[in-house]
Amino acid sequence: MAIRELKVCLLGDTGVGKSSIVCRFVQDHFDHNISPTIGASFMTKTVPCGNELHKFLIWDTAGQERFHSLAPMYYRGSAAAVIVYDITKQDSFHTLKKWVKELKEHGPENIVMAIAGNKCDLSDIREVSLKDAKDYAESIGAIVVETSAKNAINVEELFQGISRQIPPLDPHEKGNNGVICIHGGKPPAQTRRCC
Amino acid sequence: MSARTMGSRALDKRGSFFKLIDTIASEIGELKQEMVHTDVSLENGLGPPETHSMVRHQEDPCPEAEEAKGGPRDSGYDSLSGRLSILDRLLHTHPVWLQLGLSEEEAAKILQAQPPGIFLVRKSAKMQRKVLSLRLPSEFGAPLREFTIKESVYTFSLEGSGISFADLFRLIAFYCISRDVLPFTLKLPYAISAAKTEAQLEELAQLGLNFWSSSADSKPPNPPPPHRPPPTDGLCPGPWRQLCLINGVHAIKPRTPSELECSQTNGALCFINPLFLQVHSQDLGAGPKRPSARTLPVNGSERPRSPPPRPPPPAVQSLHASPGLSGTDTRPGMPQTVGPDAQENVATLGRKPTPIPPPRLKKQASFLEAESSAKTLTARPPGRGLEPELEQGTAGSAGGAPPTGDCTRAQPPPASAARPPCHGGRQRLSDMSISTSSSDSLEFERSMPLDGYEGDTNSSLEDYEGESDQETMAPPIKSKKSRHSSFVLPKLVKSQLRKMSGVFSSFMTPEKRMVRRIAELSRDKCTYFGCLVQDYVSFLLENRECHVSSTDMLQTIRQFMTQVKNYLAQSSELDPPIESLIPEDQIDVVLEKAMHKCILKPLKGHVEAMLRDFHVADGSWKQLKENLQLVRQRNPQELGVFAPTPDLVDVEKIKIKFMMMQKMYSPEKKVMLLLRVCKLIYTVMENNSGRMYGADDFLPVLTYVIAQCDMLELDVEIEYMMELLDPSLLHGEGGYYLTSAYGALSLIKNFQEEQAARLLSSETRDTLRQWHKRRTANRSIPSVDDFQNYLRVAFQEVGSGCTGKTLLVRPYVTTEDVCQLCAEKFKVGNPEEYSLFLFVDETWQQLAEDTYPQKIKAELHSRPQPHVFHFVYKRIKSDPYGVTFQNADKDLSPS
Repeated sequence: MAIRELKVCLLGDTGVGKSSIVCRFVQDHFDHNISPTIGASFMTKTVPCGNELHKFLIWDTAGQERFHSLAPMYYRGSAAAVIVYDITKQDSFHTLKKWVKELKEHGPENIVMAIAGNKCDLSDIREVSLKDAKDYAESIGAIVVETSAKNAINVEELFQGISRQIPPLDPHEKGNNGVICIHGGKPPAQTRRCC
Repeated sequence: MSARTMGSRALDKRGSFFKLIDTIASEIGELKQEMVHTDVSLENGLGPPETHSMVRHQEDPCPEAEEAKGGPRDSGYDSLSGRLSILDRLLHTHPVWLQLGLSEEEAAKILQAQPPGIFLVRKSAKMQRKVLSLRLPSEFGAPLREFTIKESVYTFSLEGSGISFADLFRLIAFYCISRDVLPFTLKLPYAISAAKTEAQLEELAQLGLNFWSSSADSKPPNPPPPHRPPPTDGLCPGPWRQLCLINGVHAIKPRTPSELECSQTNGALCFINPLFLQVHSQDLGAGPKRPSARTLPVNGSERPRSPPPRPPPPAVQSLHASPGLSGTDTRPGMPQTVGPDAQENVATLGRKPTPIPPPRLKKQASFLEAESSAKTLTARPPGRGLEPELEQGTAGSAGGAPPTGDCTRAQPPPASAARPPCHGGRQRLSDMSISTSSSDSLEFERSMPLDGYEGDTNSSLEDYEGESDQETMAPPIKSKKSRHSSFVLPKLVKSQLRKMSGVFSSFMTPEKRMVRRIAELSRDKCTYFGCLVQDYVSFLLENRECHVSSTDMLQTIRQFMTQVKNYLAQSSELDPPIESLIPEDQIDVVLEKAMHKCILKPLKGHVEAMLRDFHVADGSWKQLKENLQLVRQRNPQELGVFAPTPDLVDVEKIKIKFMMMQKMYSPEKKVMLLLRVCKLIYTVMENNSGRMYGADDFLPVLTYVIAQCDMLELDVEIEYMMELLDPSLLHGEGGYYLTSAYGALSLIKNFQEEQAARLLSSETRDTLRQWHKRRTANRSIPSVDDFQNYLRVAFQEVGSGCTGKTLLVRPYVTTEDVCQLCAEKFKVGNPEEYSLFLFVDETWQQLAEDTYPQKIKAELHSRPQPHVFHFVYKRIKSDPYGVTFQNADKDLSPS
């Protein structure tokens, strides 16, 4: 099977669970007392997708405002961005919108955007309704999914969704969008997925 | 004039001691004769791997005919330029044959459709090592066989073989030509060996793994006879001639040193020295290692293999050809074993005048010694009467590139430029790494005096490396002086040794090459990595107020370096992949060095300025300044010093080391110098009193010394090291003495409060504790070395309680495999009902099959707060903890 590398970066307010999502996805593990990310951290995971293997090269960025200006470094070459908010914090949804705006303005043209409403295990103290998120996602053409890194809900699905959104690649052309096709091969059939 | 003739004349006068030296020298000459640069072959091309299968290339000119055109340089390959060498073919097409991620089954599937001799390199999940999967012809019984690739410090080799290579490509290229421990030589797929241009190869490479199933992987019109080495071509036996080819010489014949080719193009790496090949195989046969079939034909019959044609020994070897003779027998006066004194000798060279140790030709140590002497000698001012003659030809060799006609004149460049040869030496020797462990070369590295670097800039300082070691600490200046008066070599030896190091100077270690490549990449903004690094550097330069404290700033830098390292190691941005050029256990070390070069080097000045600003702002700078004055005026006893203290001269020396430290950007090198300072202090303490001192006495003396040095900048230096040093180095001496230095500085800072007490304030101790915790917890992805290969697993069975077993679980063993192992060990009849769980923080998590328990364990260990956790093997459904577990199970199972 051919391996394709996909650079993905995670954006979002501090404390929404970006690192936890990555940790769940990559190591299938959840840490209750994860400390705030400084700068950014990097992990990879390879998952099969159609007749290809997708190797996610994931940059998990720091959510703290003071590191905000570091983010462009990571999303600039990315094939996809996962923008995370906390369903129990309206503010984090506002921050998400700011990120989307920034991506539209400064991000790569065809970047795949995926919105993750994390902490859906805490839906009894929810502040952001799923409908709001879905409407917003639709308006910007993004994938949206509610996740729980703690309970491993929809985390894999989130990345599968991204896989399917990755535009087809001419095997002879090296992707400049953070997609590098190492071993050539046909891209998977594109299917639009929404949850 | 050959140096050897000179040698024999001198011999008459000087007796057996110099006889030995001459033997070394002439052996070196012979050795060099065999050392040819692979780059020559890269540039000029080699014949295709299997000439017999390559009809269109059979007009391959016969080497002797070529010689005429090649002229006195004896290379004979210039006319072949334009042809693609095997190495070229391999380098271009690695996406096809280098398939580290491939499983055994997949590899088997691919190879079964291939003719015998076709191969893949993959990584065995079981052994966690690279293996060469080779398609066998039908008469061998099995369709394929795997040969483990051994990786040691700087080399790659096939298990059981004595020949080591600087990288995987050279290894494969060699085995395309000589079978050595293989049943037959490797074969490149027809399309690859038939490609005429690099573009064609690139096209094939684009196919990657799909190459094997594509139409590109066509078979030759008339398939060649499978695995037989090609027939002899009349001049010399085919395989042997090809072995010569990969060596870059067309035929090995005895030559006098003056005939040798001294071209010094950059970066030759692969040396196949038939002499060593032979000698070593004898070693092997006698040693505990797997005997090579060649030396023990009896064993050879156990393994099916095609009838020999092994490379016949070259003429120079005829001496040793008799199998009955061991290497020692055939070389009188060449002791075969190197005792512990080998290291000692290397070490003492840097310290005091010693008689030249007896030569140990087959050991790296002897070359290293020779090298080191050569270097020291050249570093000395001329004036021995021999120098003028030796001075000639410096220009040629110093530049590194141009071939010198007369190699007896080749000599290393003096003093400041004398370092490349050392590295070359290490490189060259480790390339062969025939019979000794790498410790010798390490030892050598350590014993290298540092004085050559003084007054030098970062660019050359960066290349220094080594470990803390007693010898390293020896004051080099002193030793140089004393040696000057008593360590005299006859000129012929010097010239021989120089000649040798001149050759060495042209080689660069794969490590350095990789560091350089990464550094180049980091400057290229067209690459993702280059962008990342450049953006980060400008981010730091432009966003001064982004960091709240000095620690915070250094932490983000450290974090960035660690992450980018991970990125480079795991993405495909480095091409060819780093695993094919650097042995796996060295990858992190190499990447770390590269990070220093491309991130810390450009940031050094800024970081130091920022650190100073932070300290000025928080007042600690002023406090330290005032207290330094105060402490300086106290006598040692007032500081709690009850041991001899370094005198002014020693303090001056220490100060020089601290100043050198300031010039370096690499935290590792800074720590190295700190260790030297500490060692010097210990030496002074002990030499002046004749007794040993412990840490309790050391700290006050260090405090006293730091005060005497009166360098405010040390505070910044220590902080820089403490935060930026690779976490894995914090556990050793480096971490210990960093803590000491930090302690000493805080004693000075808090001098008044503590009334000269020798105790650290509780605040200081707290800070240190936090630092240690933070830095050791900072490792986001623990490296393989961090965790042990054992996992304690509890077995829980309703009714029978809990039993525990410690299992051998390597880092990359999956939960699935651990479960299997548990089923065996705990004698579980129905393993499908059991699974491995992690019990942590009072919750149960069933571990997914593809997770790595050791990584999870390492992650748990590296948390700031210690966690109690257990790995438990138990039934999936019936759980004593009832509800808790049921919930967890539902949540955690993949939905």
